[in-house]
Amino acid sequence: MNGWMGKITKIDLGSLEQETVAIDDEMRRRYLGGRGLGVKLYTDLCSAKTDPFAPDNALIFMTGPLTGTVMTSGRYAVVSRSPLTGTICDSSSGGSFGAVLKSAGLDGLVIQGRADHPVYLYIHDGGIEVRDAAGLWGLNTQQTQKAIQEQTPAKTSVACIGPAGENRVAFAAIMNDKDRAAGRGGMGAVMGAKNLKAIAASGSQAVTIADPEGYKAMNARLERIIDKNPVTGKALQVLGTSVLVNIINAHGMFPTENFRRGMFNDAEGTSGEKIAESLLQRQSACYKCPIGCGRTTRTKNKHGEGPEYETVWAFGAQLGVSDLTAITEANYACNELGLDTITMGSTIGCAMELSETGAWKEKLDWGDASKLLAFVEDTAYRRGIGAELALGSKRLAEKYGRPELAMQVKGMEIPAYDPRGVQGMALSYATSNRGGCHMRAYMISPEILGHPVFLDRFSTVGKAEIVALFQDISALVDSTVLCRFLQIAMGISTFTEMLRTVTGLDFSDEELLKIGRRIYTLERVFNNRAGFSRGDDTLPPRFFNEELQTGSSRHRLVRLEEMLDDYYSVRGWDKEGVPLPRTLAELGL
Amino acid sequence: MIDLDKETLAKMIDHTELSAHSGEKKIANLCSEARSFGFYTVCINGAYARFAAEKLQGSGVLVCSVVGFPLGAGTSTAKAFEAREAVGNGAAEIDMVVNVGALRDKRLDLVRDDIAGVVEASRPALVKVILETCFLTDEEIVRGCELSVEAGAKFVKTSTGFGAFGAFPDHVRLMRRTVGPDIGVKASGGIRNFKDAWRLIRAGASRLGVSSSVAILEGLSLYKFAPAAWLEEEIPCHFCPSRFASLDKQPKAVYAYYKKKCLTCPHLEKFNKFYE
Repeated sequence: MNGWMGKITKIDLGSLEQETVAIDDEMRRRYLGGRGLGVKLYTDLCSAKTDPFAPDNALIFMTGPLTGTVMTSGRYAVVSRSPLTGTICDSSSGGSFGAVLKSAGLDGLVIQGRADHPVYLYIHDGGIEVRDAAGLWGLNTQQTQKAIQEQTPAKTSVACIGPAGENRVAFAAIMNDKDRAAGRGGMGAVMGAKNLKAIAASGSQAVTIADPEGYKAMNARLERIIDKNPVTGKALQVLGTSVLVNIINAHGMFPTENFRRGMFNDAEGTSGEKIAESLLQRQSACYKCPIGCGRTTRTKNKHGEGPEYETVWAFGAQLGVSDLTAITEANYACNELGLDTITMGSTIGCAMELSETGAWKEKLDWGDASKLLAFVEDTAYRRGIGAELALGSKRLAEKYGRPELAMQVKGMEIPAYDPRGVQGMALSYATSNRGGCHMRAYMISPEILGHPVFLDRFSTVGKAEIVALFQDISALVDSTVLCRFLQIAMGISTFTEMLRTVTGLDFSDEELLKIGRRIYTLERVFNNRAGFSRGDDTLPPRFFNEELQTGSSRHRLVRLEEMLDDYYSVRGWDKEGVPLPRTLAELGL
Repeated sequence: MIDLDKETLAKMIDHTELSAHSGEKKIANLCSEARSFGFYTVCINGAYARFAAEKLQGSGVLVCSVVGFPLGAGTSTAKAFEAREAVGNGAAEIDMVVNVGALRDKRLDLVRDDIAGVVEASRPALVKVILETCFLTDEEIVRGCELSVEAGAKFVKTSTGFGAFGAFPDHVRLMRRTVGPDIGVKASGGIRNFKDAWRLIRAGASRLGVSSSVAILEGLSLYKFAPAAWLEEEIPCHFCPSRFASLDKQPKAVYAYYKKKCLTCPHLEKFNKFYE
């Protein structure tokens, strides 16, 4: 078999039974792998009533047909039901864990049940060993990876949780290859609920390539496409993702103090340029990645990875904090404790506004960087104020009677692009299947960066169609599984060609997009069954009622209603956002 | 509605790599892509003409070499020599840079002879004349087009990609109107995505000089899946040389000329105002 290793194993951590999951060629062709096949397997195994922390909830680690092959292919996807949102959720991470999992002989791993004591899984030669992890429980993610690597062969890659996952914090991350994170949606908490501390993999099996000559030419082409694009070929390499700080701030849509303003006066001091001048030790890259957007940094006290753009924002402008060292060290702490930085920072921002309004009696001040580390640590261990922050912004704001102060969609915190300044991004946030996320359809690419077409960011015309297209392409890329930065540099045809040279299967562009649409619709069907509908495809009222007062997005509001009906129509869903029978039939669902 | 298929678009593209720091590896990749996608030529610096011609043998993709690049300020003899050598090394098309200073000084005979010398030296290769429109007024662009045709060039071309700005629809429209339907117009510089390309084709470009060629073809593929986004009405100022005029990079008279054009622009009332 070309591309895939041909083996997905299901393990029950309660009974320790293992079985091979039967996947036929047709299913591979319809869902590919990664997010797509993960979602398919999840919806076959679990219902919309499955509690994310129940033993029967499935936690699925998946690679894709391109994992371990072309550039940026070290990634993997984790699929389950999110304890943060209640939606179906996938989270993906870079590094090399995906490629190593495949070299250990597996395309994927389905985990159900709950171990009666902490364990970790060691995967090699296509087999799975369940090993005791009692001695690892309580260790942070760096210590855990180091300890497991001491017990396993060289070049073992480890994906693990930290104390936040053990304590089932609803936005706990899974960390791999030191500081790479499957961050969003609380997949780490699901792992913790299973008493599963880590998954380690090592191996030497190679992925077979259908067309080696074409594959070689494809890699050369990819290299040039990446190099020629100013974002992937220059900006991300030199300045990392934080290159966006000054750009987004200049567009007046850099959310400041819980999205009350769109410009941060101290943006320059937290920018990618400033990181390069003050903290950067070296650029770091994931498996076979020529971009290398990662930043290895050092403060006076510590060293580690980051901060990336979203984190700079979450612990910076979102809180009115301009101390780059404090932001960076809060990032390090999230990595070590296993927390999603976006939800962590945004929840603190929500808490600051709750405090300011008097709804919450705790005293939290805008711009106060001195307590950041304590907030992060307390959240991971659910102690003191951290026990409240561990709820995430939606539950926290509801608890204190001000639900409108949580900047979230479906329970997931919106990241670092104020939707009042980008109408397409607003629609993307609102209709995202996993909540307030920029990665379902990264509309910043056409609306700010001008790829693949430069769109008027304030216009709603044609946005429904292109948001749906971007969502489908994203679902596709997440199923191959490659880095989404490739999407900035290339369109659909290069993915078609990559899949052809690796798998030998002649997909058309149309067929690939249909795969993306099928995955997105299947996720939607699950969410509908879980009770989500049109009323949930919305944004916090601030974006409809409060104009930004300064910057180049001033006087703007989100005009979601101008786009939502069109969006449902493009998708083949009814007015309530439920896929029509003919849509399901067309997609074979 | 955009009525253009990928193969036709590919045949309008000179797949370009003209950076000073590009070596053989990049040129080899360029040629490999040109073969795969069927671009009309690869456009390269003369030092790589022979190398590219060898790489492209039997592919049907031609080699286009630049001459007097990027300033156009060398002697006519040197340009002719450079062109002859490039053709001898396998170039089937020559993109020469006009003597911009002479054109602005209205030394018309010198400009015409400079071009004619390259046309003669390049035979049987076809010659395109790069006017570097960013340094010229409309009147000078028209004059440059007329002189190019008189001197036997088969194409006029907007830009080197190294000047103050690249190709704009207004300039392409003017050039097409001046040279008529039988002479080619090549738009080059700053063409990054399919919509940029399409805008210039609609204005009259028959050839495009681009380095992001693959991304442009992919944009065409994506267009059909979400046409409304590509067909959205555009603000003309976003694609107007007056908007991109730069006092730092242009002669001050040319800068002032472009800024002054705004005063008589038909879009003045509707579009030419401060945008948020």
